[in-house]
Amino acid sequence: MVFVFIIVCTLGFDIKPGDVKFVVPPGWPKPVYKLNKNKLTDEGFKLGRKLFYDPILSLDGSTSCASCHTQWSGFTHVDHGVSHGINGLKGKRNSLTLFNLAWNKSFMWDGGINNLEVQPLGPMGNPVEMGTTLENVVKKLDTAKGYRARFYLAFGDSTVTGQHVLKAMAQFLVMLESFNSKYDKYTRNETGGEMSPQELSGLKLFRARCETCHKEPLFTNNGFENIGLTVDRQLWDYGRMAITNDPNDSLKFKVPSLRNIVNSYPYMHDGRFKTLMQVLDHYTDGIVQSRTLAKELRTPMILTPDDKKDIIAFLQTLTDKDFLFDMRFRDWRD
Amino acid sequence: MRKSLVVFICLLLVSFAGLQTVAIAKDPAEKTGRITVIVTPVFNSHPLKLATQYYVNSNGDTLYVDLFRFYMTDFGLTDTHSGKSFQCKDSNHLIDAEEPASTTFTLDVPPGEYSDLSFIVGVDSIYNTNGANSGDLDPVKGMYWAWNSGYIMAKLEGHSHVCKTLHEAFEFHIGGYAPPYNAARGVTLDLPKPIDVKSGSNTTIRIKANAAAWFNGNIDLSIVNDIVIPGREASMMADNYAQMFSVGE
Repeated sequence: MVFVFIIVCTLGFDIKPGDVKFVVPPGWPKPVYKLNKNKLTDEGFKLGRKLFYDPILSLDGSTSCASCHTQWSGFTHVDHGVSHGINGLKGKRNSLTLFNLAWNKSFMWDGGINNLEVQPLGPMGNPVEMGTTLENVVKKLDTAKGYRARFYLAFGDSTVTGQHVLKAMAQFLVMLESFNSKYDKYTRNETGGEMSPQELSGLKLFRARCETCHKEPLFTNNGFENIGLTVDRQLWDYGRMAITNDPNDSLKFKVPSLRNIVNSYPYMHDGRFKTLMQVLDHYTDGIVQSRTLAKELRTPMILTPDDKKDIIAFLQTLTDKDFLFDMRFRDWRD
Repeated sequence: MRKSLVVFICLLLVSFAGLQTVAIAKDPAEKTGRITVIVTPVFNSHPLKLATQYYVNSNGDTLYVDLFRFYMTDFGLTDTHSGKSFQCKDSNHLIDAEEPASTTFTLDVPPGEYSDLSFIVGVDSIYNTNGANSGDLDPVKGMYWAWNSGYIMAKLEGHSHVCKTLHEAFEFHIGGYAPPYNAARGVTLDLPKPIDVKSGSNTTIRIKANAAAWFNGNIDLSIVNDIVIPGREASMMADNYAQMFSVGE
């Protein structure tokens, strides 16, 4: 089996016709990203994938997007509270998972980025992440081996432009979709969706306590909330207020999707919690009151230890192996 | 009979050929005329020289300008007879005092008599939210914020001894599209005499962009010297530089 796998890899298994197709799962809301303005093609997707995995996007050629967004963890930086970029420099926020991005109304923990296409500009330009500029990236790609041909195939123009770099990346990123977890199969009454009594109990508790913010099917309401985390006394990160300058946004951070949560530890905007149990303990015993605290959390959440185990059992059903091991999203070095 | 048929067919072919010639002549591009816009950065009555020339602003402060770039987008012209306004498609230009080629551009306009020229100094909200745009709106131009998506509508950078900042520098990166601090400003310039645009014509409009206007209302560089985020201060600066345009040599 391994031998066959190796042969398949060396033969260069690649995108087959029909592989690059955006799906809106039944019953899901309409995507936010306007796909008609950036038509998905095999070549656009492959170019975007190549850029995602290419450290040429960083100042010193050391760091690619994939450095902090690895597929099997849901495209986050597993086991890293905050990530490190070029020269081993550390940032102040936890890497977010990447999937179902077409439904995001904004990007980043503070929502400062308003369109999928311009998201790469953030990490690209951050001195502690990739430390470069779009201008430098375009210059490098214009002379780097193999890129001009790929830009021609994707956009009918071999000239590398900032816009085309960003649109190609968006074609790859928008294809990262997760909707085949055990929970999804359960909601669609499919084989593989048989939930245990504990998982069903967890789902019931989840719907009673967590649903307002972690709304199905995206498991986020795209909002920003203060969930009573103490402000880190070294990072002093006030979240969305830095973007809106509105004191009502103090300590508010993006509600992340809980899909693939088991693989994407540690948790919270600075990765302060290593386990899901620590997260649930925070909700029952760790909430710090403040003016902007989410109204749902003003009275303490009551969960017994068994309740917490049930919720965790349910959260495990959000792991989507089809997505985590999808060959289309691998680094094909092509 | 056969001879007249041949003649008839020849005549038919000739008339078809004639029609073809007429069809080619009716190329839509020929229906418009061209307006060449030349923008000259100045500081009051002097041409703007970057880095090497000092100027004095309305507050009496001596300064040097190192960088002066701004967007002029969404051009329109008002027809004097119909009163209707024609909007030019994809007329988005980044003027850079350091790039002479950027200060001249053209607009293709249908025939008519036009009495004013309007544009936005800055970039309309739609471009600030729709992702990666092309040409002068490409984020590669360095006029786009990475962490708080949106265009920097205009930049003025320089230095002055009155600034107690690093290297005595002042830096104005004016942007923001979200109400109430949208920094885009509509500008309408009355043309001293109406322009008569005919099919295939080419008329030049010269516009001056006076960097001194940024300091209107006696902006004190010792206090106001670093605006690099959207907000009230940026919006105020935009009100100032919206006044910097005038028509003329």
